[in-house]
Amino acid sequence: MSSSSSFPNSRFPFAAGAGASGGSGSSVRPWGSSGGTSVSSSGKRIQKELLDLNASDCSAGPKGDNLYHWLSTIIGPQGSPYEGGIFFLDIVFPPDYPFKPPMVTFKTRIYHCNIDSTGKVHLDILKDGWSPAFTISKVLLAIKDIISNPDPYSPLMMSISRQYLTDRAKHDEIAAEWTMRFAR
Amino acid sequence: MEHVWQGILRLFRGLASFSAKAVKSLFELNFCVLLEQMISYYSYVHHDSDKVQMLLELIYQLMPPLETSGQHLKLVTAKKKIIMRQRRYMTQLASIFALLVQVAKSAALSSICYSCVVVIGSFVKLCTPNLLVELQKTVNLSSLFNCLLAQKNQHVLFETLKISRILAKKDQHFFLESFTKEGVKHAIEYIVSQSKNNSHQNMKEYCLCFYMETSSTVEACSIANNSVTELAKEIKKNFLSVKGSNKSPNRFGFTLKSVRDFFARLNLYSSTHLAENPDSCKQLSDLSRRLLSDELPVTSNFEFVQSGSIKCLSVYLSNGAYCNADLNDGPVLEQLSVVHSRLHKFANLALTPFNESSANPLGILVEKLLDTLHMCYGSFPVLLSYEQMSREDMTMIPLRYPEAKKPTSLLLKFHRSQKERELYNYNGVLIVDLFSTPDSTEPILFPEVFRRTDQEPASENSNQDKNDDDGNKSSRLEFFYNGVTLQPSVTFFESILHLMYKGQSDLWIDPSFWVQEHSITYRKRIKSNKEISSQSSYYTRLSYVHEILQRAWLKDPFFTAILNGKLPGNLDVSDLSYNLLFMLKVLEGVNRFSYQLLMDEQINKFAEGIQEDINDIEVAICPVPRHQFLSSLLINKLEVQMQDVLFDDGLIPSWCVYLVENCPFLLSLDTRWKYFCLTVHRSFFPDQINRYYPQTKKYRVARSAIIEGAVSVMTNHGPSNRIIEVEFEGEIGTGRGPTFEFYSTVSHELQRAGLGMWRGDSGEHGFVHAPFGLFPKPWPPSSQGIDFTNMLQKFKLLGNLVVRAVLDGRILDIPLSKAFYKIMLEQELDMYDILSFDPELGRTVIEFQALVSRKNFLETSSEESNPTADLSYKNVKLEDLCLDFTLPGNPEYELVPGGSEKMVTLDSLDQYVSLVVYATLKSGIAKQIEAFKSGINEVFDLKALKMFTEEEMERILCGEQGAWDLKNLEDHIVFEHGYDMSSQPVIIFLEILREFGREEQRAFTQFSTGAPHLPLGGLASLDPKLTVVRKQCDGNVDDELPSVTTCRHFIKLPPYSSKEIMRKKLKYAITEGLGPFHLS
Repeated sequence: MSSSSSFPNSRFPFAAGAGASGGSGSSVRPWGSSGGTSVSSSGKRIQKELLDLNASDCSAGPKGDNLYHWLSTIIGPQGSPYEGGIFFLDIVFPPDYPFKPPMVTFKTRIYHCNIDSTGKVHLDILKDGWSPAFTISKVLLAIKDIISNPDPYSPLMMSISRQYLTDRAKHDEIAAEWTMRFAR
Repeated sequence: MEHVWQGILRLFRGLASFSAKAVKSLFELNFCVLLEQMISYYSYVHHDSDKVQMLLELIYQLMPPLETSGQHLKLVTAKKKIIMRQRRYMTQLASIFALLVQVAKSAALSSICYSCVVVIGSFVKLCTPNLLVELQKTVNLSSLFNCLLAQKNQHVLFETLKISRILAKKDQHFFLESFTKEGVKHAIEYIVSQSKNNSHQNMKEYCLCFYMETSSTVEACSIANNSVTELAKEIKKNFLSVKGSNKSPNRFGFTLKSVRDFFARLNLYSSTHLAENPDSCKQLSDLSRRLLSDELPVTSNFEFVQSGSIKCLSVYLSNGAYCNADLNDGPVLEQLSVVHSRLHKFANLALTPFNESSANPLGILVEKLLDTLHMCYGSFPVLLSYEQMSREDMTMIPLRYPEAKKPTSLLLKFHRSQKERELYNYNGVLIVDLFSTPDSTEPILFPEVFRRTDQEPASENSNQDKNDDDGNKSSRLEFFYNGVTLQPSVTFFESILHLMYKGQSDLWIDPSFWVQEHSITYRKRIKSNKEISSQSSYYTRLSYVHEILQRAWLKDPFFTAILNGKLPGNLDVSDLSYNLLFMLKVLEGVNRFSYQLLMDEQINKFAEGIQEDINDIEVAICPVPRHQFLSSLLINKLEVQMQDVLFDDGLIPSWCVYLVENCPFLLSLDTRWKYFCLTVHRSFFPDQINRYYPQTKKYRVARSAIIEGAVSVMTNHGPSNRIIEVEFEGEIGTGRGPTFEFYSTVSHELQRAGLGMWRGDSGEHGFVHAPFGLFPKPWPPSSQGIDFTNMLQKFKLLGNLVVRAVLDGRILDIPLSKAFYKIMLEQELDMYDILSFDPELGRTVIEFQALVSRKNFLETSSEESNPTADLSYKNVKLEDLCLDFTLPGNPEYELVPGGSEKMVTLDSLDQYVSLVVYATLKSGIAKQIEAFKSGINEVFDLKALKMFTEEEMERILCGEQGAWDLKNLEDHIVFEHGYDMSSQPVIIFLEILREFGREEQRAFTQFSTGAPHLPLGGLASLDPKLTVVRKQCDGNVDDELPSVTTCRHFIKLPPYSSKEIMRKKLKYAITEGLGPFHLS
């Protein structure tokens, strides 16, 4: 849990925008604000996930004192053009979590055909494929997986996917360059 | 327009009748294509039987029969030569042929049917045998004959027999086989056998001969008393008695026998076992495959009916309850579970196509049933008053019913039945109005004839009455007409007519009917108290069982029907149509609930371990599209009935009411909407003499406080039968435009976030976004306070808006979910409905339910020590999901007392699932629904809407949605004042409209009519029509903007110089012009 406070502020490329866009997280309930008597069902679940979170190279935790709004970091996978980059993600839990998927957005720009310029991620388990059996650590693992293995056949960024398929070298070059520029 | 149209057609008809040259040039002009279009338009869309009649007469004149009288012989042979010489003329005629067969089959009036048959006959005479054999492959003539021969109308019978004779002459071998297969042979033999007992001698019927003869030569009816039977005998003797030596008749008999055998065995089996053995299931599927395959050779309707498979299937599915009064004593629960499992099996079988290419078996079965329904002409008799007969273009017909005042009463003479000893003989004439029923007459008659005896003191008698009132509304007298019992709730008027003209498809009421005394006999009803009591206790038990059922389809009327083995109401069980209606009702239910039925089956499979992965609980359903359930015959009949004055006066035949209430799926939305307008609407606006200028009441509303304004408008207006008109404070607009805008603005306001009305309301600014439609948000049952009452008040307002939108023809702009419409139509909801408005929650609930079923199955079936060991939810222990007993997304809503502290475990999952479903669909929204319904019921009974489906309700309330095609635009937009269809600006204007996306369409509709959706029927039903006129411009045309008069639907369009400029200006106008209302 201590990881949440250890985010260096300078690492936030969109630090100013992050707070404003977080508003979309509907009816956010500050954790422990209900007088400490009881935490809602979704709150209990999120607390449990926080305790269970032990993924090796991705860390996540609440931003400030809001249990429903998390930040996470993903380290660019080795052997990929994103190697060496640190990517920040914004996670917002809906009030009916875990029945609804969390909303995950990239706060660090990334050159990737499944992630658009606003940070939206195209991932099945974050949409129709969601099930209460998934946890945020599984989601983060899936995101890491898609970073190393892009799915060019269901892209958000058409031009990048085309380039990925036709000129892989060029694609990797730009991706590495963006990683250097935005994620370091 | 109408007159011109009629004039032209009459001209053509005249020309064709006198000149062979005219016939030739009509063929040269490919006139048949036009004829085909017109006939199908007037018989299926517009339901105008007069026009169809005239078109048929025209076709008749193109190819009159050869045996007409001598003076025409030359002309007739000349025409014949013209047609015979050119092969393509024959092809042209053949192209209308299929349509004519359809029209004849589904005609509501015998006259149309007769005319079709005559025209078909003349065509058949021209055909070569080869062509006929070819035609029979695509157009099933024999099947048509089988339907026609089931009619009682002597004229239709005679003509049909005549064609049969021609066909048999042309190719005896081929048509004998086809006649046998389709039942024509059987029908002809039946007619011959009927001739012996002469039962139809006193049948009343009007001559139809004059319909096809324009010449005045026909004075008397050409059909003598027994000519039909004579002709039938002749055909039988000459053609049918030849025994075919080939094996085809055997094959036919074999099909029948195997079907009968199979069902007999099935029912025998099921009475001992539960028909669970796979052997009989396999047989069932094999047989249905053969019976219902869409490959050739298909099973004919005749084989289908004659084999009794409909009845057998009904008996099987209802576990013997069908047409069996004794079964009511049996245990309800056992019956329920048997029927339940049989229906599941049937659904599985009927909804799965045999292979990739073949159609849905259910669809084929429905098609067969509907086709067979064409044989039930007599079950739905159309009552016609004589005023209809004043056809302007038929001056040569003697007007049989001279102008007279509309009859309003009947003379009924009541006699005591001969066996009746207890009651006095009344033996007098009562004048009753047309609406009297045996039930309503009884209280008047009974005191007159009741003989008070010592054995039966008055007190006891009244006591008995009370019992009767509690029970099944049983009456004390029974009434008979010609020895037939009259149904207590059907009017004397209808019953007598029906019995007088028994078997006719349409009845013209003879003037003598009104002056004649109709003798009715009565006798004391012999009550069988035991029967009534046992039946009512059965229904109590049934309603008790209803309470505990979880699935919506188990509470649907269709399931109740199959469980009881009978349709609601008092229908004649012996009628062929009863079988068909029963089966159609069941099939429609199975089709409507196909998703639920198949999902149940999947969950069962998972529970039994056949299905391993919980993610695979999914069904790919292909339900039969709703339009396949429409019966063209019944639609036609109801349409014709609704055109009659009798219907206008409120004399609605009981079959109309029955069909609309119990089998609305057989009728098209247009027809039901018309029915709704003529019944509910009419009774709601009784004092409106002129429907075109209805009385309105004006209200003034402030835009700034529109919700409050709307509430006060609705409260003040109450159940008034005037139309609400609204204008906005400080704006000059008035009339339809602002009123439409009022409705759409208020419905927008009801979607504001923070009101707490809808699911997904996050309490922030803006509107609730519900991509799957709005559904009420559950509030804890203990909710109180100002927020709660405000929210309820808004639901009531919504109810008010809905009812006014339906009555006044307004459009709401509110995307309600399907499940909410179901509530509006008083249908039951179950867990599967959650999917429609909250897919994620719905999916999870279904998966949890599957897990519960699996656990229950393991606990009851296996003896292992720890059967629940492998029970996890997608490899996650249920406890790890960290769910407590509160409603998902609503932590204040505790499902049980102290629910927020109680965690969901595998053992309590069962309880959790049913509580979540119950809270989401019932208890959590009960108060909201109550408020909503009270808003509707304040004005009229909600039940009146039940004839519509949820999709149709949406169309009625929210108007049409869909792309605009050029034809639609051209047909329904008027161009005037400087424009016509060929003006350049108009052409590009239409091009732009067609290129509009949905948002732009909505904006354009809002701009031009004041509401974002078009009314039911789209542009076509916009009244007044959308009109585009040329805008006069002084300066540069391209600087001007289009302007609009919304209440008149007038668009003033400047003649822009290019398409690009027009598009730019139009888009600017429709997007910027929204908001406050100012006339231009």
